[in-house]
Amino acid sequence: MIDGAVPLPVEKSGAGRVRRAHLRQWLLSPPVLILSVLVLCAIFAPLLAPHDPTTPVPAEKLLPPSREHWFGTDPYGMDIFSRVLYAARIDLSVAITSVLLGILVGMPLGAFSGFVRGRFDEVMMRITEIMQAFPPILFAMAVIAAAGNNLVNLTLILAFLNVPVYLKMVRSVTLPLQESDFILAARCGGHSTLSLVGRHIIPNTLVPVFSQFSLSCAYAVQMVAGLSFIGLGVRVPQPEWGSMISLGASFIIFGKWWPAVFPGLAVFLTAYSLNALGHRLRRIVLRET
Amino acid sequence: MASWLIASAIYIGKRLLAILLVLLGVATITFAVTRLLGNPVYLLVGQQVDKEIIDNMVHQMGLDRPLPEQYLRYLMAVARGDLGISRVTQRPVLVEIKLRLPATLELVTAAMLLILVGGISLGVFSAMRPGGAVDRLSQFITRLGVSIPDFWIGLILIYVFFFLLKWAPVPLGRLSPGIHSPSQVTGLLVVDSLLAGNWAALLSALGHLVLPAITLALVAVPSTIQITRNTLMQILSSDYIRTARAYGMPSRTIYFRYAVRNDIVPVVTMLAMTFGFLMSSTVLVETVFAWPGVGLYAVNSMYQLDYEPILGVVFLSALFYALAYLVADLITFAVDPRIRAQ
Repeated sequence: MIDGAVPLPVEKSGAGRVRRAHLRQWLLSPPVLILSVLVLCAIFAPLLAPHDPTTPVPAEKLLPPSREHWFGTDPYGMDIFSRVLYAARIDLSVAITSVLLGILVGMPLGAFSGFVRGRFDEVMMRITEIMQAFPPILFAMAVIAAAGNNLVNLTLILAFLNVPVYLKMVRSVTLPLQESDFILAARCGGHSTLSLVGRHIIPNTLVPVFSQFSLSCAYAVQMVAGLSFIGLGVRVPQPEWGSMISLGASFIIFGKWWPAVFPGLAVFLTAYSLNALGHRLRRIVLRET
Repeated sequence: MASWLIASAIYIGKRLLAILLVLLGVATITFAVTRLLGNPVYLLVGQQVDKEIIDNMVHQMGLDRPLPEQYLRYLMAVARGDLGISRVTQRPVLVEIKLRLPATLELVTAAMLLILVGGISLGVFSAMRPGGAVDRLSQFITRLGVSIPDFWIGLILIYVFFFLLKWAPVPLGRLSPGIHSPSQVTGLLVVDSLLAGNWAALLSALGHLVLPAITLALVAVPSTIQITRNTLMQILSSDYIRTARAYGMPSRTIYFRYAVRNDIVPVVTMLAMTFGFLMSSTVLVETVFAWPGVGLYAVNSMYQLDYEPILGVVFLSALFYALAYLVADLITFAVDPRIRAQ
C-alpha cells in the first residue's frame, strides 16, 4: 500500500453515501438555510410576530430598535419586526406566483415554437423581442394606472414580464432536441405534434427551467419591492417590504434609519439567497448536461 | 468598393426595419393597454361625473370611433411626435418630457462614466488574473450588486453620506437652494455651469450628482464586470494569443495590441445597451433623490392620475432602448469584418 493512500471502502452503498453527503452539504448551505428561515417566517408570521402588524399606536411613533421592538417602530407606531415578518407573505407569494405563471405560459409556447419552427416561431420571436423592449417598471406603472392598483394586477404584470424569458429558454433547449432519436422514434410510433411536445419535449426542459426559476424569483422579489416603493399594488396599512421602505424613506434624512433599512435588508437577503441558490442549481445543471 | 457600400446600406436598412417593427409593437401594446384595459375617460375625469360630460369627452377624444380607426389615428399621432396632452398642465406631453430629459440624461451619463471607470477596469483586471484578489472582489461585488435593490442602497447612501458624514448635500434635486442656476444651453447643469463660468453652480451640481449616479451605476456594474471579464478571458485563452505567448511576445504587447482591440467590440456593444437600459431604469433612483427627470415625471403623473405622460415616457424609453440596440449593431457591423462578409 502506498503511504497515505486510503483503502477503498468495500461497503455496498459507497456511491449512495457520497450522494447523500452532497445532498446534506447542499441542504445546509447558507442560501438554502436563509431561504428556509424566510419561508418559515412568512408561514408562521402570526405565531412569531410579537405585535400586531396593522394597528397604529401613535404613542410609540418612530422608536429606535430596543428589546421591546427589535427593529423599532415606524411612523405610525407599528412594530417593524412584526411587519417585516407579515410582509414576507405578500412579497414571497407575489414573486413566486408571478414567476410560476410566467413559466406556465412561456414554457409550452417556447417548446412549441422551438419544435414547430417556421412562421409560428418567427412570430413568437418578434413578440418576445417586443415584450422585452418594454422598460419593466414604467410598463408596470402604465398598466396598473389603467387596470387598477391591486396585487392581482401586480402579479399578472410580473408574470407577463417573465413569459419571454422562459419562452426563449425553453425554445433554445428544444431546438437541439428536434433531431434526436427518441423524438424520431416517438413520431414513428404515431404521436401527434402536440403530444410529442407535451410528453417528450417539455419534461426535458424542466431541469434548466428549474434552475432559472430561483433566479427569476430573486428578480421578481426586487421588482415587487420596487413597484410597491412607488405605491403600486399595495394599500397603505398592508405590510409589504417595498411600501415599508417608502414609508421610512422620508425619515432617513433625520437620522431615523430603521424604518427603511430593515425591510430593505429583508429584500436583500431574500434576493441574495435566491440568486445564490439559482447559481448553484445552474452549476449542477450544467455539470449534468 | 461599391459592393461594400451596398452591403452596408442593406444591413443598416434591415436593422432600421427591425427597429421600426419593434416600435410599432410597443405602440400597439401601449394602445391596447390604454383602450382595452380601462376606459381612459374615467381615468381622466373620475367616476362621479355626469354621463353627458363623459359622452362629450368620449367624443372629443375620438373614443367613439371604431377601434381600428382609433388605432391608426394613434399611430399617426405618435409618428408625428404627438404623445398626447397632459391633463394636469394642459401642455403637450412631448414638451414636458423635453423639459425633463436633460436631467435624466445627465444622471445616466454620470452613471455611465462611473461604470466605465469602475466596472470595466474591475472586469479587465479580473480577467487578467482569474482567481486573484481583484477577481474575488469583482465576484463579491457582482453577487451583492444583483441582489441589492437600488432604491434601498440609495437611501443607505443618503444616511451615511448626508446624515452621518455630512459630506453630501441635501438629497433634493440637482442644485442647492440659493444657487443661481446657469443659463440653459444644453440642460445639463454640469456643462452649462462650466460654459457660464458659474463655479458655485458647478460644485453644487456635481455634489448633487454624486450619490444618485453611484446608485444608478450600481444597477449596471455587476453585468458590466461580468461581461468584460468573460469576453476578455475568452480572448485571452484563444489560440492566437496563446501562439503569441508561445513566441515569447511580452505580456504588455499582447494585452494592448491584440487582446484589447478584439475586446472593444463586445464591450462597446454592451455599453451602448447599458445606456439604453439605464435610460429606462431611472424611475426609482429619481424618486429617492427627487431628481427632476422623466422617471420622476412618470411617477408624479401616476399619482396625479395623468395618464398620457406615463405612456409617453414608456414609449420614449422603448425608443431609447431600440436606438441603443441599433447603435450596438452598427458598431459591431462597422468594426467586425466577419459580419460584413455575410
